[in-house]
Amino acid sequence: MLYRTAGQFKTSYHADHALFPVRQDAWLLGVILVCAFVVIPAVASEFAINALLIPVLIYALAALGLNILTGYAGQLSLGTGAFMGVGAYACYKIITIFPDLNLVVAIALSGFFSAAVGVAFGLPSLRIKGFYLAIATLAAQFFLVWLFEKWSWLYNYNASGAIQVANVDMFGITVAGPNAAPVTQYYFVLGVVAVVTWFAINITRGRIGRVWKSVRDMDIAAELVGIDLMKAKLSAFAVSSYIVGIAGALFVFLWRGAAEPNLFDIPLSFRVLFIAIIGGLGSIMGNYLGAILIVALPVMLGTLPGAFGLTIASATVEHLNVMIIGALIIFFLIVEPHGLARLWAIIREKLIMWPFPH
Amino acid sequence: MNVHAMNTQSQSPDDGIRAGDLLMDVRNVSLRFGGVNAITDISFNVRKGEIRAIIGPNGAGKTSMLNVINGFYTPQEGTIMFRGKERRGMKPHHAVRQGIARTFQNVALFKGMSTLDNIMTGRSVFMKRNLLWQMLWHGPALTEEIEHREKVEEIIDFLEIQHIRSTLVGKLPYGLQKRVELGRALAMEPSLLLLDEPMAGMNLEEKEDMSRFILDVNRQRGTTIALIEHDMGVVMDLSDRVVVLDYGKKIADGVPDAVKSNPQVIDAYLGVEH
Ligand SMILES: Nc1ncnc2c1ncn2[C@@H]1O[C@H](COP(=O)(O)OP(=O)(O)O)[C@@H](O)[C@H]1O
Ligand SMILES: [Mg+2]
Repeated sequence: MLYRTAGQFKTSYHADHALFPVRQDAWLLGVILVCAFVVIPAVASEFAINALLIPVLIYALAALGLNILTGYAGQLSLGTGAFMGVGAYACYKIITIFPDLNLVVAIALSGFFSAAVGVAFGLPSLRIKGFYLAIATLAAQFFLVWLFEKWSWLYNYNASGAIQVANVDMFGITVAGPNAAPVTQYYFVLGVVAVVTWFAINITRGRIGRVWKSVRDMDIAAELVGIDLMKAKLSAFAVSSYIVGIAGALFVFLWRGAAEPNLFDIPLSFRVLFIAIIGGLGSIMGNYLGAILIVALPVMLGTLPGAFGLTIASATVEHLNVMIIGALIIFFLIVEPHGLARLWAIIREKLIMWPFPH
Repeated sequence: MNVHAMNTQSQSPDDGIRAGDLLMDVRNVSLRFGGVNAITDISFNVRKGEIRAIIGPNGAGKTSMLNVINGFYTPQEGTIMFRGKERRGMKPHHAVRQGIARTFQNVALFKGMSTLDNIMTGRSVFMKRNLLWQMLWHGPALTEEIEHREKVEEIIDFLEIQHIRSTLVGKLPYGLQKRVELGRALAMEPSLLLLDEPMAGMNLEEKEDMSRFILDVNRQRGTTIALIEHDMGVVMDLSDRVVVLDYGKKIADGVPDAVKSNPQVIDAYLGVEH
């Protein structure tokens, strides 16, 4: 009865186009938003905010960007980490050149750089598909990380070769840098992520979303219903890389505080890909579920045994983490390619029926 | 986006070509794949408002002919006049914008999308709101979405597929998939509709339904149709004129009764099972 849909009739296409045709979904989102904006910041410790909440949001955003490309438009990319790097370095340079620029604006602008780079490396997708495209994006990954190392202008010629985030104020409050309070940073990230997610939902449920999905499902047929494949694929690369770039800027400015080139190397790309796969390709919400799992798992493995009075060496925790994630990836790839999001959809359907099956 | 505006206009049925006038003229077209002559020197025409059948044994070159017409293959020789203009070097998505839509011999739907979304993709060429409006959703993008949704709902009602509106098409039985594919083609509001074996693999009842839909599309919407079909009974019932291909060559062309009694056609079909 939790998910009773009886009595909820749609009287117009307008109502049918509402984000939540079923009222309970809207309530659920309301509860989640209240938790995210009010409850969690009030009760969460600084450790929880830094080790769990902020990274979950940022990884979810990066996975959302990748999901647009891979889950919606069907173009596989192994270069997500490097595209995050482009966003981070772009933001770093923008802040260096315009120190008084609002950080939100700087981050929004840095997305355009990653979008441009994404489109450039997306050009091969016009000729090659699947595995071969993945290899091409892998080349982008190697090239860009090499560039982050060699192009010292990018990191302002620091001797360390790393970028370091100085304090950044917005309206008199420090939002980034060593002096920023975790709660402030949490709200900053939450705001950006919420807005971008809202935009992504809108894009994917409208014309452009359908165009992407049609290219994913059958590109020849898409062309024969009048879809320009070049525009469709490159727009997916642009939007995806824009979001990934923003996630990269948040990653460094609102969470890590500093970054070396190898932070954006292949492990990061795979991490984001795993989140998208475990969460569910072609789903928006899945990115959050996947990020929660991937970020929380090592934290839980590290703290839970202690709570039961057990001691496990940190190396063992690390290994356990890798093994569990590997098993989950295999499970989802084979059993449920639509990931956690699909599992939730199944539960939701059961709840709609419950307690009267049939 | 002037191009869009122009194309939408050119797709309106009232473009100076009246029923019975030449809509498309295929002239001396030859298509080769390496050493295979898929089509050899074929000429035929399609008149506005008619149902034109293309028949012939398997491998005769029928599907290849449709692929040439909608720009998927470029023939080595010959020309195609559409609406009095010669077309050359055209990409398939341009053909759609000129008013040519098609269905496929093997259903080519978007399997991960619902019936509604599949048919909505057929409206993509008419939808113009850009990324920024789409991001906001409310406002012009939603207005446009609803405007096209109404057109699509008309098609859904027409094809009697209301009950599968939100079902993923990958889960539908074959007969219904064919119907959804017809719906997607209709959503493009074509002036020339190409149907590649729309009734293949259907049972008798489904064939009757499909025949009725094809006739209704032709009569109610005035859509010109070129269709490939194996079932001779269906061809005789539906079509105004028939062109017969065999081994990539045209062996007959005319009204159904004349074609049926043509000895060459009888020969071509002897011993071939359909
Ligand atoms: N893409 C292709 N590459 C090579 N040969 C092809 C291709 N498409 C069709 N053919 C060949 O062209 C001939 C005609 O095929 P097709 O047009 O599919 O026949 P039909 O639709 O009448 O059964 C066949 O011999 C087929 O093998
Ligand atoms: Mg064929």
